[in-house]
Amino acid sequence: MSEFKTTRRGLLKGSAMTAALAGTVAFFGPWRHIHVYAQGQKKPIKLGLTCDASGQYGNSGQDDVRGIRLAMDEINAKGGVLGRKIEWITADTETTPATGSRVAERFITREECGFLIGAVHSGVANAITQVAAKYGTIYLNTNSSAPSEAGENCSRVKFVWDGNGTNFSKAAVRNAVQGVGKNWLLLTNDYVWGHTTSAATQKQVEAAGGKIVDNLLVPQNTRDFTSYLLKVQQSKPDVVATAIGGDDIKALRTQVAQLKLDGKPAWINNQQDWPDVWGAPESLFGVFGTTWYHKLPLPGVEQFVKRWQTAYKDSPIPVPGNVSYNGYMATRELLRAIERAGSTNNVAVIKQMESIKVSAAERMQHYDAFMDPVTHQMQQTIYLARRNPKPSDNTDYFEIISWSEPKSVQDDAAPGKCKLVGYDKVPTYEL
Amino acid sequence: MLFDLLPHLVNGVTLGLLFALVALGFMLIVGLMEQINLAHGSLFALGAYLALAIVGGESAIGPYLGGTWHSLPLGVRYAAALVIAPLLVAVVGMGVEVLMRRTYDKDPLFGLLLTFGAAMVLEEAIRAVWTTRDYVLQIPSVVSGGFIFQDLIWSTYRFYAAAFAATAILLVWLFIEKTPYGAVIKAGAHDNEMVRALGINLSRLRLFVFAFGTLLAALAGIILAPIWGIRPHMGVDAVVPAFLVIVLGGVGSFWGAVVASLLCGMLIGLAGAYASEWSLLSIYLLLIAVTTVRARGLFGKKSLLEA
Amino acid sequence: MLPSPQASPYLVTPTIATLLLLLATVPFWIERAGLYPYLGVEILIWSIYALGFNLVLGYAGLPSFGHGAYFGVGAYAFGLAQFGLAPNLWLCLLAAVLAAMLAGAIVSLFVSHRRGIYFALLTIAFGQAFWFVAIKWHSVTGGEDGLLKIARLPVELGVARVDLTSNVSLYYFVFAVFALVLIGLWRLVNSPFGRTLQAIRQNETRVTFLGYSVWWVKAAVFTLSAAISGLAGALFAMAQMSAFPDVMSLHHSGYIVMMTLVGGGLVSFWGPVIGVFAFLLTRDIIGTYTTAWMFWFGLFFVTVVLFKPEGIAGLIRDVSDAAARRWSPGRVAVPAREPGE
Repeated sequence: MSEFKTTRRGLLKGSAMTAALAGTVAFFGPWRHIHVYAQGQKKPIKLGLTCDASGQYGNSGQDDVRGIRLAMDEINAKGGVLGRKIEWITADTETTPATGSRVAERFITREECGFLIGAVHSGVANAITQVAAKYGTIYLNTNSSAPSEAGENCSRVKFVWDGNGTNFSKAAVRNAVQGVGKNWLLLTNDYVWGHTTSAATQKQVEAAGGKIVDNLLVPQNTRDFTSYLLKVQQSKPDVVATAIGGDDIKALRTQVAQLKLDGKPAWINNQQDWPDVWGAPESLFGVFGTTWYHKLPLPGVEQFVKRWQTAYKDSPIPVPGNVSYNGYMATRELLRAIERAGSTNNVAVIKQMESIKVSAAERMQHYDAFMDPVTHQMQQTIYLARRNPKPSDNTDYFEIISWSEPKSVQDDAAPGKCKLVGYDKVPTYEL
Repeated sequence: MLFDLLPHLVNGVTLGLLFALVALGFMLIVGLMEQINLAHGSLFALGAYLALAIVGGESAIGPYLGGTWHSLPLGVRYAAALVIAPLLVAVVGMGVEVLMRRTYDKDPLFGLLLTFGAAMVLEEAIRAVWTTRDYVLQIPSVVSGGFIFQDLIWSTYRFYAAAFAATAILLVWLFIEKTPYGAVIKAGAHDNEMVRALGINLSRLRLFVFAFGTLLAALAGIILAPIWGIRPHMGVDAVVPAFLVIVLGGVGSFWGAVVASLLCGMLIGLAGAYASEWSLLSIYLLLIAVTTVRARGLFGKKSLLEA
Repeated sequence: MLPSPQASPYLVTPTIATLLLLLATVPFWIERAGLYPYLGVEILIWSIYALGFNLVLGYAGLPSFGHGAYFGVGAYAFGLAQFGLAPNLWLCLLAAVLAAMLAGAIVSLFVSHRRGIYFALLTIAFGQAFWFVAIKWHSVTGGEDGLLKIARLPVELGVARVDLTSNVSLYYFVFAVFALVLIGLWRLVNSPFGRTLQAIRQNETRVTFLGYSVWWVKAAVFTLSAAISGLAGALFAMAQMSAFPDVMSLHHSGYIVMMTLVGGGLVSFWGPVIGVFAFLLTRDIIGTYTTAWMFWFGLFFVTVVLFKPEGIAGLIRDVSDAAARRWSPGRVAVPAREPGE
């Protein structure tokens, strides 16, 4: 990729030229939308929503869409960005990287989207990033929390909005080693996200004076955790830290709850995405991380929840959670960055994005947040929560037990792993 | 040493019984009708979803059944689900069989393709009705929770499920081998003309076998739902071990499939004790090892399928 | 029926020539048709895959339900050769073809004395094993996240060097490969080997009596088919700039069967290509309007299996036969046609 010099315009123009060569025989397919803009009305800015509607993260993907749409609708209601309306299109990325690539190609080349938003699965996020990088298209990874997203797989065109495994383990580990015990067992999903997350946890544990008694690797799509749970019982650790994702964690949770293993040892889970836990509060266990909760006692939260609920009366999940929140925040900040840049020129927008600073009030979190220009990851407040013993209503699943400042949970290893290409290497475009 | 191993062995045996339960309906249809029912997994999932709707809780259909139903004790609703959901799925299975009739005089490939299409349609229909989120099936407190034995906590439900699986396997075997109906079914599979000569309606026989096979698929779905969870692609997750077990045991061999299930369960259990990252791969290695030595699987006989 | 027994005397028939000419102009109008060049690349790649697959399904009558494995092996081998051996396009393509061929040859040892549903069951089991290894062995394959950063290597032709980073140039490269595979397979299915394959499909025992080793023919065609799938997989890795395990899953192996059958692979040489066009175009167009497009495609597929197993190619033939009968009322039967046209 480093010797890549073609500009995106060039790529598009190349095919446009071949089309011109074909002469004046214009064949417009029946599904081609031809926009004719009235005088004075500017061309809209089009965003491509690369969100899963099916597969492992179908649920989360659709909750992501709800947050993204709300941000666009609110900005459109105020007249759009640079006097232009925001338009969007979405297609199911099927929690499948190969589909993610194709959808990204389609959004960029056919739909002429200047910006792509949305991801939950790190494999899909990587696939989209590769396509986006080829064209220089700005891509917002809203919800994939693999540390590698802002580490070895970072990109000049990609911005990561979720807290990652390292952030969460930094927030959780120190307290637990001192408060609960020194012997830790790791339960790790056997893929990149699991490995990087567990490696981060191990470093934290050892730095805090604890030790890892065992690391059990769990293949993806494991539905039966009994043999692992037996091993956990036999090695009697003080704390079990899991890095198990998606559907696997649901199966694990159910089985831990059934065995009533919830009390001892103490369980530390990385992050629980709201759409994953919705509907099954009885199986929440241990201490887990999140970036936001709809009952945070902060100004603006209640109003945001109301606006969200008004927009999505029929949503299968009745309140916004961290996934929808991340989608909302990412989209809103992108649109603001375009406004500040004064154009949709991608490099200008990237530079604006790299200097994003959002006040705590605007983030609806406890601390100010900022975009790390070196890793392109949003540095934000990290919350730890556990199951709420006294819920105030039937959506009140979490009890927030602590919040950490962005600086204190920053991933120190990421800047060393992330190498962003120079601005001059990014194909430029303006749509 | 051996004592540490014991829980893993027990776990392996229960897992094996559950595999056998999942494979049971698939095995009957492939063994008796010589049709691969690729929709087995989707019917398995459908069984779990329908049980969810009957037992109630927060599913999409449950609330419509009314308050009176929900005031009944959970045990009653669960028992009702165990009976009604598989019957409903059997009706769907009969629908698939009726469609499949058009393929009987053709290449067996068409039956395979038809059920693959049916699986897709069923899975998408499940998504449309219940969305992609996952659900938890409530179970009566008698069988939930855990108990402590030798300092280890054991899951009550797992033993219940394993016992259920063992009973189902035994009953199906008795039915096939020890009743006159079973004899007719077996004869029908291997010698259509003989059955016709005896004045038995072959198409009704096939309808029955298929319905029975799908009923067992649904039953397995309900039993495994509390362990594996309910979500649209639970069927795909379940059906893969079923394929392996059938090939390993030898197509058409009842006990072959059961033994293969137990073997796979034990292997996963033991691999879980020593090298957990290899636990799922181990059954594929076993498959390759066995098919190298015995091409027809452990107990496979030469059958019509390969003529 | 598939290509009739009499061999076509031509290397390139008018149909092949017309199709290739038409495909050569695709980049000139695809955007005006409301599509995009990348879609053209994917359609050609899947066409190569489906043509290779149909050797096994349509010609030899062997229902392989795990062909995604060889497609995937090709994709990974292309990437690994690029990182581990040398970033040369020809070398990497060769590595992909050889790797997929080897995988196919190994599996064929186990499946070649099988047919019918037992064959299907075994290919499913092996397909799952490959898929599982791809997900599991992530120090090599990148696991669930896939093997990333695969470059679209330039075409080295001694004197010239063609860059493939744009989708249009990649399209022409894939098009060239497609043309070669198409003509090669056309020759193959019209050769004595092709006729033996069809004879095996109709009656294995009779072929044995004629003195052919059915086992060897089946093993050979399975291996060849795997090699072509691997070639398509390598091109797919280039198109996607990565290799992912999903294409090896049971679902994806099922899709290639669906495409081939819906198009009419059982009765026509062109069936797989027609099926790929139908599948990928409807997916792209309907997929924009509804995320439940698989439901509708599934229903359509079931209908085809039940009522028109000859697929779209069969339908086209029926229509043209009806037209021919109408215009020549004196003739009762339509004479044997040129293979697959």
